[in-house]
Amino acid sequence: MLDFIQSLSDGVLFGATYALIGIGFTLVFGVMHKLNLSYAAASVGGAYCGLLVLKVFAGAPPLAVFFCAFLAGGLLGYIVYLACFHFIPISNPLATLMATVGMLLLVDEVIVHQTDGMPLNYPALFDDVMLRAGEFTLRGDLLMVFVVSILCMAGLLALLYRTRLGLATRAVSQQAVAAQLCGIRVGQVNAMTFVITGLLGGIAGAMIGASVGTLSPLLTTPLTIKGLIVTVIGGLGSIPGAIVAGLLVGGFESVLQQYRGVTERDLYVMLLLFVFLVFRPGGLFAPKEGRD
Amino acid sequence: MALLELKSVSRHFGGVRAVDGLDLVIEPGQIFGLIGPNGSGKSTTVNLITGLFPLTSGSIVFQNEDLEKLPTHLRLQTGIARTFQNIRLFGQLTAWQNLWVAQNSPADWAKRGFFSRWLGGQSGVREEISQLLEFSGLAHRQDELAANLAFGEQRRLELARALATRPKLILLDEPAAGMNTEEIGQLRERILKIRAQGTTVLLVEHVMELVMGVTDRIAVLNFGQKIAEGTPVEVQADAAVRKAYLGGGE
Amino acid sequence: MDFYFGLAQIIGVHTLLGLSAYIVLLTGQVSMAQAGFFAVGAYAAGMLTVLAGWAILPALAASSLLGAAVACAVGFPALRVKGLMLVIATLAFGEAVRLFFFNFDYQVARGGVKLGPLGGEGFRQIRYFPENGWTTMQVMLFIWIFVVLVMAILWWLDRSRYGAVLRAVGEDELAAQSVGINLTAVKVSAMTIGGAIAGLGGGIYAHYTTHIEHASFGILLATFALAYPILGGLGSVFGTVVAAIFVQGFLVEGLRFLGDWRNLLFGALIVLAMNLRPKGFLDAPTLRWIRRVFGGKRGAA
Repeated sequence: MLDFIQSLSDGVLFGATYALIGIGFTLVFGVMHKLNLSYAAASVGGAYCGLLVLKVFAGAPPLAVFFCAFLAGGLLGYIVYLACFHFIPISNPLATLMATVGMLLLVDEVIVHQTDGMPLNYPALFDDVMLRAGEFTLRGDLLMVFVVSILCMAGLLALLYRTRLGLATRAVSQQAVAAQLCGIRVGQVNAMTFVITGLLGGIAGAMIGASVGTLSPLLTTPLTIKGLIVTVIGGLGSIPGAIVAGLLVGGFESVLQQYRGVTERDLYVMLLLFVFLVFRPGGLFAPKEGRD
Repeated sequence: MALLELKSVSRHFGGVRAVDGLDLVIEPGQIFGLIGPNGSGKSTTVNLITGLFPLTSGSIVFQNEDLEKLPTHLRLQTGIARTFQNIRLFGQLTAWQNLWVAQNSPADWAKRGFFSRWLGGQSGVREEISQLLEFSGLAHRQDELAANLAFGEQRRLELARALATRPKLILLDEPAAGMNTEEIGQLRERILKIRAQGTTVLLVEHVMELVMGVTDRIAVLNFGQKIAEGTPVEVQADAAVRKAYLGGGE
Repeated sequence: MDFYFGLAQIIGVHTLLGLSAYIVLLTGQVSMAQAGFFAVGAYAAGMLTVLAGWAILPALAASSLLGAAVACAVGFPALRVKGLMLVIATLAFGEAVRLFFFNFDYQVARGGVKLGPLGGEGFRQIRYFPENGWTTMQVMLFIWIFVVLVMAILWWLDRSRYGAVLRAVGEDELAAQSVGINLTAVKVSAMTIGGAIAGLGGGIYAHYTTHIEHASFGILLATFALAYPILGGLGSVFGTVVAAIFVQGFLVEGLRFLGDWRNLLFGALIVLAMNLRPKGFLDAPTLRWIRRVFGGKRGAA
């Protein structure tokens, strides 16, 4: 029983990073009704860029690494927007999708090329702290990951619901044409959405690196899939859905890893997705059906 | 005996009662008009009859058969075809192919076996489709992609596509929208011909010169409810209808 | 010469993979599951010739049928969801298949040697072709007979009413439903045909490489499957072949001198191609131009 609670809590804490990735997918979907398959790869890419700080200033604090990852993620988000969305006509959703897959492969290969495919160590905060309650422990670094992720989500929600930019973003996501007629530059809002999701992704990548202790290019595919699963389970386009689903998937996979081992774990996560697709295809927070 | 009967049909979207307790009876051979201001629930009614949304309550009976459990494509096979308010053609198929893919009626089933129906080439059905194209004045445009047709031609093609399904009842959702007077005259002729061939017509329309000139009976909707029904003359004289159209404080 | 025959084998198998995605794409469904069906076919055909001692043709027929059956079974639940949700669902299915084979052990001793799939180690020694003395050229011809056959079938389907219905569903599902088309039947049938083609391709693949492992059937392969018809354009089956030749012949083999950088270029070229030719190499105007220049028959495809 204790094992169960322990792995569940570790998983839920780690799941906050899945939630961030899920939010990134869901936000782009909400605003543009497009899928950006390169998102998770770009996030890991951002996290790698964070490590550049250590190359320039050996011994820089982890926070500087995280911040650099954050910025690099935003930049990568903008690059993805330019490469895969800006110039391709809206009437060709397949071309956009394919371009993001190309971007996924490109980012992946750049990472492999630059690191020779070897995992790199990633700095963390509080990784020597352990909170104990009897047999039950909370790892300090996981707690840090969780707190940082939650702060980012709060920041995002504040941005979306308290600023003009957020208002414009929400307007575009509901009625792009009407928003355009109101003088909102849709292209600009789309680009900003990519930068914002990119910033979130950079942090998510850094947090994953921090909690695992290493970064490896092998992370990108599973992270893409987990992020997508989180998006579906939460309901495409729903931010609260992505948060809840992220924590859920994190807890679920951690518990199954405990009982079934690491190679089988992901199979069960896929199974969870299929259960949702069959019984609740709209996800946890399905958007209300409209008249048209 | 009624061909189509709507019995206190309702459809709510959240708090909006798009259609609210609507009763309609359409007799075979009629041209039945459904009019009302924007947002009064006309298009929703068409969507409910073809099964794009489930009913919130009530029932729809077509030829003594309750349609509730039938999905859209099976409703077509019982003989209900439609056109769309905002034209929905298969743009990257030719005009000819648009009619070809619509041949899904039980009559087509009876005429052709499974393999010739699905895997057969264009030669077997050339004549039937030519007739329909002729009827719609599109014979010379048959190999054009539907997306490249002019607006009026697209409307005609959509009507022909609905006819290609050999309907008993055809639902026309604002077929005259965006047409000039001459085109409306042609449309009127076509609607009368369709009826003469034995197909019942439900005409949802804004253009009064068409509705008043061609229908046998009209129902008027406002805020999802029927506020009047009768012959065109009766409806034009109705006080509630005038109020709904011309406005007036309540 | 053997080098070119080997290359032609790869191109042939990848063309089959691309064609399996092509027919599903016609209905407007983006399926990332084709690599999964391909994997099922590969393992099934390999096990049948190696462990059950079947000849190659019945084994390929069985792998094709199995691919179709799996695709049909996946099609029903997966096609309940549309568009991007389907991309995700099929992506997850493909990964689930890969993970299944990662965990799949079934070894039988044959003449003192243990044969069969062994989890992460993969499935070695699928030696039907070498054991029966086939030359590289014979194998290549064998593969291309299937490619031509499948292309002929698809080309013919494309010109039938079924083909027009597939495209109609891809254009506008609502309108298709409203003219009496059963969406589920059409989509699941396209998925099933795609599964059969992928299963066949996988079965062939297992035999010419002689060694398969789960890692070969990942997202990259699913991407390749989609990339061929999308890069080639959905106007005609020939686009898929052209794209397979371009990607496997030019990008993968032709750029080998670039070494490491080749892989980098691959992703970048996909991005570039989609920006420059969003409707594929052989888009509708190009096809019309080809028909005009070569004075071919007026086709409605």
